[in-house]
Amino acid sequence: MNRKHILTMMTAVLGLTVSATSLAWLEAGGQRDEALHLKPDHENGIEVYEVCAGCHLTEGWGTKDGTFPQLAGQHKEVLVKQLADIREGNRDNPTMYPFALPESIGGAQALMDVVTYTAKLPMNPDNGKGEWETGSSEFEQGKKLYADNCTECHDKNGEGIAEKFYPKIQGQHYNYMMRQFEWIRDGKRRNANPDMVKQIKGFSDKDMQMVINYVSRIPVPKEDLAPSKDWLNPDYD
Amino acid sequence: MIYSKIKTATAMAVALVVLSPAALALDGAELYKTKTCSTCHGKDGKSPILPSYPKVAGQNEAYTLQQMKDIKSGTRANGGSAAMKGVMHLVSDEEIAALAKFISTMQP
Repeated sequence: MNRKHILTMMTAVLGLTVSATSLAWLEAGGQRDEALHLKPDHENGIEVYEVCAGCHLTEGWGTKDGTFPQLAGQHKEVLVKQLADIREGNRDNPTMYPFALPESIGGAQALMDVVTYTAKLPMNPDNGKGEWETGSSEFEQGKKLYADNCTECHDKNGEGIAEKFYPKIQGQHYNYMMRQFEWIRDGKRRNANPDMVKQIKGFSDKDMQMVINYVSRIPVPKEDLAPSKDWLNPDYD
Repeated sequence: MIYSKIKTATAMAVALVVLSPAALALDGAELYKTKTCSTCHGKDGKSPILPSYPKVAGQNEAYTLQQMKDIKSGTRANGGSAAMKGVMHLVSDEEIAALAKFISTMQP
């Protein structure tokens, strides 16, 4: 009787945990869905992005050391999901939190304006990379890990899948990806996709370094890149 | 007299050579922008992004210095300091000192 009771409780707790995880990845409704149905306003996008530029820079390139990720060229669906998740307390990011609030950015319309603007910015041709050169043994091992584990969602060259909210990871800074990967693997990133958590559970730290080293070195298509690493966003002076 | 002048000039030259690279690198006003202080505390140091974040303009140098050090090391972890800890690895001890000095000179 007692044991049965405990078992029922354990099942219930387990069920709760599982559903909480799935919900945390892609809860229906909220400002993400609302925003994506709106028509973006370019000028307002520029205005709203100014506050983001305080950390992610006016070019949207973040910092090479990975403190701040590159946002330029990211799918607007991914940007709006992450913004809404941080705003709604679904992804912990104390540094960014105040900037995701409606008081700082505005409502769903402003979200759509700013993510559409950011998604169209040309990407940084000089992103932060891992230590292993293209062609090295670690690079090749990372490439294999990528092919075996990552392409279904992040696509062949780290393009991601916009309509499924899977991020573009090509051109992203190595240290930023390392931090997020580790948090996803170890359960610290609450809005992680549960399929990814499962997929990378067995990754050692070395596997993680090798696969991310590879991703950081996937060439970004030329048409998505800024003409040089000294390019300055002309929308700001 | 002449000797003393030469000595002063030499001392000044030495001081310039020794100090100028550091002095050039450590422009508090510039650091205040590039280390993202202004993003949260406002360009003027008195218009923080959230009402629960402090105005810092004109704060005592020694106090600001200590808070920055403590937030960086994790000794201070209360209030909104989690938000600031996320960027403090970007700031060296020398830069913290230059920032504390600059912030103390901002118009409150």
